[in-house]
Amino acid sequence: MTSVDNAGIRLVAVADRPLDVLFDGRRVWSFWSRRDTGHDRLPRRLVAWPAPLVGALNGHTRLCVREHVSGRVLLDQEVQLGTGGDRIRIVGRSGALAGLDKSGRLTATFESRTDDDVVPLLDAIDTVLSLLNDLGVKPFIAYGTLLGAVREGRFLGHDSDADLAYVSAASAPVDVVAESFRLQRAVVRRGFATFRYSGAAFRIDVEEGDGVLRGLDVFAGFMNERRLYLMGEVAADFDPAWIYPRTMSTLEGRSFPVPALPERLLASMYGPSWRVPDPAFKFHASPRTKRQLDGWFRGTSAHQAAWQRTYSGLRKTMPARRPSGLARRIWRDIGAGGTVVDVGAGRGGDAFWLVRRGVRVTAYDFAPAGMQAVAGAAQERALPLEARYLNLGDRRGTLVEGAALAHQAGPRAVLARHVADATNDFGRESLIRLASMALRQGGRLYLDVWTGQGTAPTKLSPVPLDALTDLLRAHGATVLEAEELSGNPNFRRDYSVGRVVAEWTSTPDAQG
Amino acid sequence: MWNLNGRARERARELEQRVSDLEADLVEMRRHHLRLAELTDLTQELLVPFASRDTDRIDAAIEAFRRSL
Repeated sequence: MTSVDNAGIRLVAVADRPLDVLFDGRRVWSFWSRRDTGHDRLPRRLVAWPAPLVGALNGHTRLCVREHVSGRVLLDQEVQLGTGGDRIRIVGRSGALAGLDKSGRLTATFESRTDDDVVPLLDAIDTVLSLLNDLGVKPFIAYGTLLGAVREGRFLGHDSDADLAYVSAASAPVDVVAESFRLQRAVVRRGFATFRYSGAAFRIDVEEGDGVLRGLDVFAGFMNERRLYLMGEVAADFDPAWIYPRTMSTLEGRSFPVPALPERLLASMYGPSWRVPDPAFKFHASPRTKRQLDGWFRGTSAHQAAWQRTYSGLRKTMPARRPSGLARRIWRDIGAGGTVVDVGAGRGGDAFWLVRRGVRVTAYDFAPAGMQAVAGAAQERALPLEARYLNLGDRRGTLVEGAALAHQAGPRAVLARHVADATNDFGRESLIRLASMALRQGGRLYLDVWTGQGTAPTKLSPVPLDALTDLLRAHGATVLEAEELSGNPNFRRDYSVGRVVAEWTSTPDAQG
Repeated sequence: MWNLNGRARERARELEQRVSDLEADLVEMRRHHLRLAELTDLTQELLVPFASRDTDRIDAAIEAFRRSL
């Protein structure tokens, strides 16, 4: 007996099978009947509605739950969820019909796209394949795109992106990463927007016919002895002749390069049962594979995805008008005509408050969608606010931004409010390195951090004041102030905040 | 017999600890690949314009590099 209510879907499941959930005849979600469900009143099991769907579940729909492989229908009836009177519409941010993809993101999956919709993506795959070819690697379609082509000749309905991969001629991870950097740069020069996931993978954004932004992922691989490593899930004993020379396979009526024996790679990616469709497939890299790929390539984007998700729905919303205590303090110290470098600017509230008072601001964040509204408002008013992408997990960004900032003249301050406590050791070191470069001609670094007392603020980890001041001194800074603000009578937070002010003197021996 | 088992257990615990230490050490070693690649990439991209001592070329190289990240 299968039933549906506001909590989720309840069903009896003896065998574990992938099930599709359809709203008015359109698949929006898939799950495994046992793996993804928990205990309910016996013998039933319950799967809760996935968080990205919950907001939309207010109205009525023809709800169908059916087995993905056999098509057997477990439930098909008109249901009311919440109190809304309209039909439920599951749409993505762009307003286009959407479903949950394999990563649980609400996005326009291929099953809701028309043939015309995917033409720009096929064109983009062609463009990027030939670009990568020109740059000296031998790319092929990979992961879900390869699976779709080989098994079905088309994109998998529940997939939402396209994957490309290549196996590098290099055999050391350091060279594989350097090559991936070079390839990304060449793609940017061709006019595409990109985003780096790790040392061995980046995404190319392609706009489709109706404005839907589609990601094209480029994964690097390499062989060492007779073992293949392919970002982000594969490590397997492999014959190089199973990859190169490539052969061709048909996807949506077009011909694309695939590995010499694509079934070998598909088995390494999806296991021996790759021929059986599974819309709720989850990768299970072995602990060893995960340790290897993590160690060589990952760790450049701690917490970045979480912040991007937090900000993605706030692109058009202005932040609160009130500035932070730290911004007020800097304003008192530096005044109009100064320059502030706001690192980890978040929603850009402080940056906007400062720029309206005559301060020139460079605002950095690794999730710049959060300050899009502020950047737009500043541009409308012709205010000198520059919003830029900076990921403290990528040392290149830190160094090149530091170099650019060191160039600019005038009195300045670096504002870092809840950044040192929002990153890891490497990010903290990057932050201090950036400040030491930006402030080499004078000026001060102002830091607020959560020091560990009280209710834990979301996404922050405590940083003791003495650890921070030790790190600053190790990087050549002079610490001018280091105090707990919690003792201050005006302090109104339910967690402890420490403030550090530091500077670098411009003597040759004070190199950060 | 009990003592032997106790020693064997102790030895097994010791070896488990050494394996997990080795794994952690390996992770640390692997990290150098990424960081070395970052530094090499940046240095290579900026050294050429820097060698020209032409400020406009240097600025353009820095800006192009920032855009590519």
